[in-house]
Amino acid sequence: MRERLDDARFWTLLAATALTCLAILLPRVTLTRDVYDLLVIVDITGSMTTRDMSVAGKPASRLDAAKAALERLVADLPCQSRLGLGVFTERRSFLLFNPIDVCADFAPLETAIQNLDWRMAWEGDSMVAKGLYHAVEIAADLKADLVFVTDGHEAPPLPSGGALPEFEGTPGKVLGLVIGAGGTDKVPMPKYDDDGNEIGTYGPMDVPQENHSGPPPPDAHLRPGYHPKWAPFGSDVPQGEEHLSSVKSEHLAAIAARVGLAHADLITSPDLLSAITSNAHPRPVEVAVDIRPLAAALALALLVALYAAPLIARRIPIGI
Amino acid sequence: MNFGLSTPMVLLLLPLALLPLLRSAQVPQNFPSIEDIETDPVSVAVDWVLRLAGALAITALILGIGGLHGLGRTIEKTGEGAHIVLLIDRSSSMDNTFAGRAPEGGEESKSAAARRLLKDFILRRQHDLVGVAAFSTSPMHVLPMTEHKEAVLAAVDAMDRPGLAFTNVGRGLALALDMQEADTSPAARVVVLVSDGAAVIDRKVQDALRTAFARRPINLYWLFLRTEGTPGISSVPAPGEEDTPQAMPERHLDRFFKSLGISYRAFEAENPEAVGHAIAEISKLERSPITYTERIPHEDLKGRAFAVALVGLLILLAAKLAEVRLVPATEGA
Repeated sequence: MRERLDDARFWTLLAATALTCLAILLPRVTLTRDVYDLLVIVDITGSMTTRDMSVAGKPASRLDAAKAALERLVADLPCQSRLGLGVFTERRSFLLFNPIDVCADFAPLETAIQNLDWRMAWEGDSMVAKGLYHAVEIAADLKADLVFVTDGHEAPPLPSGGALPEFEGTPGKVLGLVIGAGGTDKVPMPKYDDDGNEIGTYGPMDVPQENHSGPPPPDAHLRPGYHPKWAPFGSDVPQGEEHLSSVKSEHLAAIAARVGLAHADLITSPDLLSAITSNAHPRPVEVAVDIRPLAAALALALLVALYAAPLIARRIPIGI
Repeated sequence: MNFGLSTPMVLLLLPLALLPLLRSAQVPQNFPSIEDIETDPVSVAVDWVLRLAGALAITALILGIGGLHGLGRTIEKTGEGAHIVLLIDRSSSMDNTFAGRAPEGGEESKSAAARRLLKDFILRRQHDLVGVAAFSTSPMHVLPMTEHKEAVLAAVDAMDRPGLAFTNVGRGLALALDMQEADTSPAARVVVLVSDGAAVIDRKVQDALRTAFARRPINLYWLFLRTEGTPGISSVPAPGEEDTPQAMPERHLDRFFKSLGISYRAFEAENPEAVGHAIAEISKLERSPITYTERIPHEDLKGRAFAVALVGLLILLAAKLAEVRLVPATEGA
């Protein structure tokens, strides 16, 4: 017996056996993990159909790139996180469904994201700042954080001076992210007829180049044909690049800051999960974790060591 | 049963199971010469049992660590139910009460009442596959046909948010039919249209709808949340009044549905109770046999893998305990 006590192999084997017993008996332990409740609002206005993004190496529209990124986000979010979906056009956000579990309801959630389409849009206007404010309101009501995906293309353009509309909520109550979708170069936007067929791109005369709903800019009197009453914006055809579109990062950063959200561009940070987890309220949940494999892994290591030690020691024993 | 591993990478460790076949766990001992010892079958058998026990223990541990499980399956069962598309009007008039004003105090808006009763309906119908579409100025795909009740409830929950301006019934119906089209099972198909008004359906859209309805049988229910004092489905134009779709959209939409030659019923509800009755009636009518799938969750087999490993280890341990140290004869003398 004494010799046995000196035998390292015996002890190793005994330890491996004990650990395996442990692996069978160990109960699950409860750990706390952070999950997130998100409301995702996707801009489905015309400018989002501009094809200046890529998905899996192929050219894709901004909307398709946004959908691909969101699908990945749904797959990446920790289970028990919830995600609701809505769309934005005109000046408001429209909730499609309240947040649902990203794991249990993964299949319908994924299909719903795939089915987002610019044809759902109900108006041609795209007042991004107002849409964002409205989305923040809905998110606050749902007690969720907001992910607002847009290219930031305001149509009609903001009034001269670029003053943002007033935000009436409390900045920072809803956290989250404004995600800029689109390339940095200005490119023409596709144009569609009433039946949804693509018929070329927008020209400079097809879109309002200047917002005429507010007071004219202070230097308007220098414009040709200016008349304070009959032509407060001058009489020339407005020149501009509003028919071309790129992701308006500066504008997005400004409106995001106004409501207390962070801002990221899809082309520079395609991994939405880390951007969102660092800018959203975590909700701690308890999850049961199976730690049995840990004990089993130790048992396995001992057992392998038992057999491999002689090989490593390069001692060639005489087998029985 | 099919098996799966949560972490298939552990299979890379499997060659480790060959170790016991190459090396023994017993203590090597010096023996002057084994040439005189004959190989006897019992010793050979014991040797192999020990090697295999080691290999078995290592393999079982690796599979257990990798999260061995029996794959979840879906089995088909037969029950009563239907494949339903809820087509929900999200126009802003749905935000008003049945009396036609903004809700105040304990009053319930039309959409809130419909939401509460529809949720109840969905919860009570066990085997239905439900899809959700919304329409207002444009049709909106909300949720695909799904058996996930929670998702459908979340979509119905969203219906009493402030809506948009118009009521474009025609395109909404076209979307609902599209969703039914995508599903190829032989189950009974139902479209439940929940709206508080009607609108003129464009000729072109009317023709498209006629063809789509003709293609396959669909049961259509129109839950019309009528505001008190407004024209209803069965209102007849007073003498001298125009009988056109523009003047009386509800009456003409109802006529259009009747002319489709499908199983169609309209429920006109002027208060939450009437909505409840209508929904109960739909629930009673839609009881055709349906095949639905039931998921059998995957079964954790880690514990069993570890138990198998334990058996192998106990055999090795027994061999260890039976080990005898050979003592050289000279020292013993």
